[in-house]
Amino acid sequence: MGYILEGISDAIKLLLSFDQEIYTIIALSMYVSFASTLISAFIGIPLGFILGLKDFKGKRIFARFLNTAMSLPPVVVGLVVTIFLARRGPLGQFRLLFTPAAMIIAQTLLVLPIIMGVIFNSSRDKGTEVEKMCLTLGANKLDTLLILVKEMRANILVAITSGFGRAISEVGAVMIVGGNIKNHTRVMTTFIAMNHSMGNYSTSIAMGLVLLGISFIVNAILYGRITGTGD
Amino acid sequence: MKKTKLSLGLILLLIFSLVVVGCGSKEPAQPDEPLNEENAGEEEQGTVEEPKLGGSIILSTTTSTENSGLLDFILPDFTEKTGIEVKVVAVGTGKALQMGVDGEADVLLVHAKASEEEFVAEGHGLERFDVMYNDYILVGPAEDPAKVKEQANSNIVDAFNAIHEGEHIFVSRGDDSGTHKKELELWGEAGLEPEGAWYVSAGKGMGDVLQMADEMQGYTLSDRATYLSMRDNLELVIVTEGDERLFNQYGVIAVNPEKNEQINAEGAQAFIEWLLSAETQELISQYGVEEFGEPLFIPNAK
Amino acid sequence: MEITLKNIKKSYNHKTVLNIPDFRFTKGKIYGIIGPNGAGKSTLLKTIARLEALSEGEILYNHQPFRKAILKDMTYLTQKPFLFAASVRENISYPLKFRQYKRDEINFLVERIISEFSIEHLANQLATKLSGGEAQRVALARALIFNPQILLLDEPTSNMDPNSIEIIEKIILKYNQNKDKMILFITHNVGQAKRVCDEVIYLENGIIVESGKAKTVIEAPKSENLRRFLALEYYVN
Repeated sequence: MGYILEGISDAIKLLLSFDQEIYTIIALSMYVSFASTLISAFIGIPLGFILGLKDFKGKRIFARFLNTAMSLPPVVVGLVVTIFLARRGPLGQFRLLFTPAAMIIAQTLLVLPIIMGVIFNSSRDKGTEVEKMCLTLGANKLDTLLILVKEMRANILVAITSGFGRAISEVGAVMIVGGNIKNHTRVMTTFIAMNHSMGNYSTSIAMGLVLLGISFIVNAILYGRITGTGD
Repeated sequence: MKKTKLSLGLILLLIFSLVVVGCGSKEPAQPDEPLNEENAGEEEQGTVEEPKLGGSIILSTTTSTENSGLLDFILPDFTEKTGIEVKVVAVGTGKALQMGVDGEADVLLVHAKASEEEFVAEGHGLERFDVMYNDYILVGPAEDPAKVKEQANSNIVDAFNAIHEGEHIFVSRGDDSGTHKKELELWGEAGLEPEGAWYVSAGKGMGDVLQMADEMQGYTLSDRATYLSMRDNLELVIVTEGDERLFNQYGVIAVNPEKNEQINAEGAQAFIEWLLSAETQELISQYGVEEFGEPLFIPNAK
Repeated sequence: MEITLKNIKKSYNHKTVLNIPDFRFTKGKIYGIIGPNGAGKSTLLKTIARLEALSEGEILYNHQPFRKAILKDMTYLTQKPFLFAASVRENISYPLKFRQYKRDEINFLVERIISEFSIEHLANQLATKLSGGEAQRVALARALIFNPQILLLDEPTSNMDPNSIEIIEKIILKYNQNKDKMILFITHNVGQAKRVCDEVIYLENGIIVESGKAKTVIEAPKSENLRRFLALEYYVN
């Protein structure tokens, strides 16, 4: 129990210390995760809708592929992104490895399938029903789209929150492509992993609690936003 | 109303899980009972020569011994002779020592002499023995923008000065490991404060840092073993070596068995005796010769 | 308005579930479609509503192939009605919004149909929270509000209590009182078919076995199968 209490008191101290480094880390975490979630949402939501509602050849195989991609191992994604961004890699000339941009790219690859998958799966089930209903009521394409978005705002919310949850909590990809560089690419999860490997358990636990708190707050806000604008 | 209930529930769940995790860490699973029974049976069968101890020990060590492949090379011999299985936890020196303090390891093989002596002095360990040494090297890009190879190929302090002055990229372990401590010690010796955009504090293991330095075309301080084992995949070259300040002594320490009941003191003792024996020391000196043309560790047990 | 089925076939996995060589539905009539489970009743309505594609053949609307404009004049009410996650009032107003009605008009028509269906007490509720019978009533109100020429109903009273059934039957009869609509009405209740429908079609295995005036078909069935079906239905009800 000692660990835990120490961790909680350390968490409070950590936040009250106004240590520039801690806030840089938290801010970077939020920036990278929000950016990748936002990019993924812009691509994944429309694409998920279109592909979920349209009948096309190989849709089943695509669905299976997408469902697999929803649980891509972050380490593998990190590895692949590294291979592409490394100096010797095809995109090496942009010198992106070990930058926040690389972390956003990697996380987007992790989050995009999640957001797209949630939308794809739910629009395949519920969406076709909504679409048919709109057809019987004489709605045109635009009407149908607006109704769909409205009907599925809960699914969109789930997609975005799970995407963000994945991004903010993932360590494997950002560790590899970001490099956990102090004041540059160090985020909450890599900070935790590093402190754990250094034997600073209470610091890890402290940051872990901060991370938990932040994801809780962000989820609560997102949830309130979207359900609030509902009816 | 519903929302507050939900969030209350979540908070309770969080606390509950933390409590469970907390308690769990205090009472590890039953310590190897089946194994002990097994070898009790063996003893009854009366194998006369060399009664094998069996069971297992947890060896907490630095990443360098594991990454270099040394442990894979020598440990089978120990298991064969004693029947003891060695569970290797390869972490930074800081964490390795912390595991000793927490009584979560039986024996430590690390390389931060001052910290180790402090560890023993504080009663966490029984006694410290020299085992072997290897050396650190400064590696950097082949183009060598700081001209270290030309001007300071055997003087690490001069080398650090040149890097600092030109603000050439230097990737630091930044993880409180033995190598990191060594590096900080050397900056101190040079009277320099490593700070700025050029100084990259990675917070990662040696292999990762070498790759980062390679990618960023920067310099880094590495142990020779890890560098040699990865040399084929790196464009980095050795720019400084052979300075006495770069030698790196490894020590072995048995964790104080009074820490808790799970510590396998007998196994730890057997491990230390074996590690310091002439035979094993010879084995250590053979490692790496075949692959790299030179030994990676030089045994020096007294 | 007239609907002509010409050699239509629908099959799933090589199994034919609908096979009608020639049939014509005309304006001003209420058609009851009866038959055992799996006879192809819903499939027939869905193909007419364009929710399912035909495997073969053609459906003509007013002697012409399908055009999108037909959709504005036709609606299909599913067996389990799907209501949008909005208030009942809003649900009922959607078809008018889709047809660019003015706001005043929408308000007027919605309030009128709400009182006609006696669902004032539901008007402000969330439509997804209604019971089966209530939802069916709301869905029918939503279907009738834009005055469609073709009304396709898939067991519209299956989850209702006798009182509500009576209300709905009256509404359906009233909807066609000027003999200017066409209603296709699947029902399990032979008595209801007799009460409401002008004509009855008995489907079995995707084939129209018998059709004609409701009274004639139900009271003097020609085929052995229909006789057996009717006996069973009377027994059940």
